[in-house]
Amino acid sequence: MKRKPTRRVAVIGAGLSLFMRRALDTGKELAYYAASQALQTAGIRLKDIQAVVMATAPDAFDGVHMKGEWLLDGAGGVGKPYLRAYVGGGSGVFSIISGWMMVASGVFDLVLVVAEEKMSSCQPHPQGAFLTIFDHIIERPLGPNLLWIFSLEQQRYMAAYGIRNEDIALVSVKNKHNALAHPAAQVAAQLTVKDILDSDVVAWPVHRLMVSPISDGAAAVVLASEQVARRLSDRPIWIQGVGWCLDTSYWGNRDLAYPRYVEKAAWMAYEMAGVTEPRKQIHVAEPYDPFAYKELHHLEGLQLADRGQAPEDLARGRFDRTGELPSCPSGGLMGVGNPIAAAGLMKVCELFWQLRREAGARQVPGNPERGVAQAWGDLMQIGTVAVLGVR
Amino acid sequence: MFKGLTNVAAARVWHGTMPVQYLYTAGVAGERFFQTLRRKGVFAVTTCAECQVTYLPPRLYCERCFADLSEAWAEVAPSGRVHTYTVVHEDQDGRPLDPPQVVAFVRIDGTSGGLIGRLLHLRPQDVQVEMPVDAVLAPPRRRRGSMDDIAGFAPRRVLPRRPTP
Repeated sequence: MKRKPTRRVAVIGAGLSLFMRRALDTGKELAYYAASQALQTAGIRLKDIQAVVMATAPDAFDGVHMKGEWLLDGAGGVGKPYLRAYVGGGSGVFSIISGWMMVASGVFDLVLVVAEEKMSSCQPHPQGAFLTIFDHIIERPLGPNLLWIFSLEQQRYMAAYGIRNEDIALVSVKNKHNALAHPAAQVAAQLTVKDILDSDVVAWPVHRLMVSPISDGAAAVVLASEQVARRLSDRPIWIQGVGWCLDTSYWGNRDLAYPRYVEKAAWMAYEMAGVTEPRKQIHVAEPYDPFAYKELHHLEGLQLADRGQAPEDLARGRFDRTGELPSCPSGGLMGVGNPIAAAGLMKVCELFWQLRREAGARQVPGNPERGVAQAWGDLMQIGTVAVLGVR
Repeated sequence: MFKGLTNVAAARVWHGTMPVQYLYTAGVAGERFFQTLRRKGVFAVTTCAECQVTYLPPRLYCERCFADLSEAWAEVAPSGRVHTYTVVHEDQDGRPLDPPQVVAFVRIDGTSGGLIGRLLHLRPQDVQVEMPVDAVLAPPRRRRGSMDDIAGFAPRRVLPRRPTP
């Protein structure tokens, strides 16, 4: 971080649709539910919004080419400057980074940020849309899919640090349990490690209950400049730092045991936020957990656990909702669900509610003053990070 | 420098496909539109009183002010005026269409929107912009609640008198 942005940006409202396996509602309708709720909690109307950011992942999910534009009216973007933020699975957190740029730059004072995904459209499985993300000549002849790649990565992570699958299954147990307290959750459950490991092996070592579900859903937040935020809100939550970084597009050239790109993105955000000791200065974390091991991987990349030590920290309760550093108190993607871009923004919504102490039954104890949300995506190579705080 | 390939036919190619299909839902507003069309043969629309916009296809919300329109339903007759049209001479594969097909965008009366449809029962040379048309619907028991229930639009029986030169 070479330069500090001159204008501060706050989140002043948040909204979420239900996350579900198949919604009758169109993606536009889901986006409208989340966006109108965010405006309502911010106490403003659509006419007050000066620009709109829409995050939504591959067109192939909804089955609408250029779906960012198609979703325009549900996101409240008609007749306004509008931007689609799209970095695959990382889009949800990237959406507030994009909105932050619009406000921090001084161009706009009030920006609506919406994220949507309707994955149920894609048949026979959204996985099919991912078959073409691999190199079409070198890799595709073998027919790899995302589950293979995740399984290969998890196995490398386990081998590098001597981690057992039981340790990783505990992420599913924790997050599905946390999601029991989330009113929008799709796959909340009270399960044991045995239940997780008894579920089908999808691609060893990944079992079915270690994978997030297919979901339809939307999320939204309202961003405001400092002056406007102070006028409209008595409890604005500040975006203290943002960061993002992409690793090589060749997944075979990455460090599979450690997400260096997440570390780089995290330090960019931490430096902007003035965070020098993340483990002391971050009080609540929402790392991206599309697969169980990913939360652990990302906690390490976010500097919130030593390399290879996140599983041990998890086992001793450090990441429980009542633990030393609550991680995914929302229930995460493993519990609330995974409408890709919306899931990332759901994590930002969760920090907003946690830091305002409005998270109800999910509220982490103490007085959390700063949190970090992270998402991951593109060709399995991007880390997107946002640090939010009460001042 | 790489030597440029001058003979394109010599370039090897790999074939690929994106193997997905879709199941779309019409949505809350869309489902009501199609059920109303199937049962009653009319168009369900929503109206934002404040913005004075009547949405067809219907929306659950006003796209201008975000008002909730889930209780703001009305029904209109399936008729309107030809707003613009084209005469299609070739199909998507470039084969000649005989006779050519007339496709119009029809503004539906009493709404701020409209629908695309085939113009039926007239010769291409008889189409006029602003000509009043009525939807030709499938018989009630054959309607399934989809766009196929609308076979097209046909000139209203009583045509307005042409202005005399």
